[in-house]
Amino acid sequence: MPPIIETHDLRKVFRTVRRRPGALGALRTLFSREYEERVAVSRVTMAIEPGELVGYIGPNGAGKSTTIKMLTGILVPTSGDVTVAGVVPYAARGRNARNIGVVFGQRSQLYWDLPLVESFELLRAIYAIPRDRYRRNLDAFVDLLAMADFLQTPVRQLSLGQRMRGDFAAAMLHDPKIVYLDEPTIGLDVVAKEAIRTFIARINSERGTTIVLTTHDLADVERLCRRIILIDRGAIIYDGDVERIKNEYGRFRTLVVHFAQPVAQPQLEGAELVCVEGSTARLRFDRTRERAERLIRQASERYALEDVSIEEPDLESIIRRIYIEGYDSFPEEAST
Amino acid sequence: MTAVVAPYWEFAKKAFAREATYRFEVFTNVGSLILRVYLLRCLWTALYAQNAAPMNLPLHAMITYATVALLMSLVLEIDGTRLIQEKLREGTIATDLMKPISLPLYFFSDGAGRTLLYAVLVIPTLLCALLLVHIDVPPPATLGTFALSFLVAYCVNFVLNFCMNAIAFWTLETFALQLIVRWVSDLLSGQIVPLTLFPGLAGRLLFALPFAAIYSTPLLIYVGIIHPSGWRNALIVQCLWLAAFGLAAFGIWRAAARRIVIQGG
Repeated sequence: MPPIIETHDLRKVFRTVRRRPGALGALRTLFSREYEERVAVSRVTMAIEPGELVGYIGPNGAGKSTTIKMLTGILVPTSGDVTVAGVVPYAARGRNARNIGVVFGQRSQLYWDLPLVESFELLRAIYAIPRDRYRRNLDAFVDLLAMADFLQTPVRQLSLGQRMRGDFAAAMLHDPKIVYLDEPTIGLDVVAKEAIRTFIARINSERGTTIVLTTHDLADVERLCRRIILIDRGAIIYDGDVERIKNEYGRFRTLVVHFAQPVAQPQLEGAELVCVEGSTARLRFDRTRERAERLIRQASERYALEDVSIEEPDLESIIRRIYIEGYDSFPEEAST
Repeated sequence: MTAVVAPYWEFAKKAFAREATYRFEVFTNVGSLILRVYLLRCLWTALYAQNAAPMNLPLHAMITYATVALLMSLVLEIDGTRLIQEKLREGTIATDLMKPISLPLYFFSDGAGRTLLYAVLVIPTLLCALLLVHIDVPPPATLGTFALSFLVAYCVNFVLNFCMNAIAFWTLETFALQLIVRWVSDLLSGQIVPLTLFPGLAGRLLFALPFAAIYSTPLLIYVGIIHPSGWRNALIVQCLWLAAFGLAAFGIWRAAARRIVIQGG
């Protein structure tokens, strides 16, 4: 099957007014304008297969939203190609709109003053969803997202968690082939987050919906995605398995040692002390050079131990290092 | 066909329901209107006691004119396209653009739904007003022409508002501009004073302005200053203004939409 989302050298440059500093500068800006160009997306090439659930991540201002806007058709690329389900989004926005669903964590598409269910009715009319399919989908979502209690409540009175569940149902009612999720779990408590994640996973596996997930919460990505696309400064810097990036770029493990008695400066060859807290010490080691088993044996020979555990780096710490140090610095480090 | 119209019918229904949830606002609007009807009656009665009736407009016709103008304002002052600015400021316009709908039609149907609520309220308001003032009721043919002319006036008013609100795509805020236009149009559209009262050149100029198409034309048909022989021409002029502003609105919308898709929402 051909990819459902395909972009080739996608580029977007914004022209903005250059603002001069100070009050006098502001006055000058009012009358004479200079423009400057800002490259939001410089070259994005990607292919996403039908039914995939991909994490699209990157730091603030990396170009994530700009890419998503081009995929939804509300932004015209400066250059490059884009097709979504066989449609060029910006050229046929209406046709593209029927294929996609969108959830923004930060803004709602629900009618603020009306009961939740009325927003759903409105969407039924907008997408011309046949009544029986509408009924079937609505029943399924009310059940999956436990919405029965607040279907008749005006949206402005809903909690954030309830509103998000409503927004998810709203985005899926017309059975979109592709769903874009932008920070869907932002601000939610752990229970609500989990409910949303379970829902996303089920929609993806049971309905085969292609999902592009944009988020800063890497726990979402770890829980849901097999593949991530990392974007930084407008360009894709990694595209592949979550596991691979963890293996390649998460060389360091942390050995957590609980001593029977406090030890001020525990020393182990092949590991570097990170911190000591009471009788617990944390030591970092490179798993390509040192084996955990040897370190544990060493520790048990030198000190009286109560417990030992090994922490794997989570995706968050890996991505944080890539954001700060850049992606390229890692392979070099690995090769030395 | 029904699938094409269905969303907009639904928008209008939802807007109607939404507007009805603001009960306090609805009742204050209607209440203040009845008060204004009464005050205007007092004002015109006092003015007429001092002067002779101007331009073959006797007191009862003047009071009729003022009262019908106020009832029309109940419907015309609802600015459905104000929604454009709210959506721009909140950034929700992006989500609307991701839907398979025409946004100008969405704004129109939303505005129409809101006005429909007030249109329904015109009848009880009229009954209350009738306790305070007496107004003339013209023959059915005049009433029908008035209704038709009022409908065109509603559309002219809508496209005019749409143009002004759409300017917010560039400026984000159009409050000052709208205030000015509202002052000017209230005075020049014949809502407060019949345009026939303006003498000479000023009067001719005002009739040539588009604002006359909003209040003046339907009202002058109602009170009979525009005779049946002039109805056709009056309606044609109104429709021309509607076409002119409709085209302007279309152009502004095209430019605005292009701006969004080029510059981002």
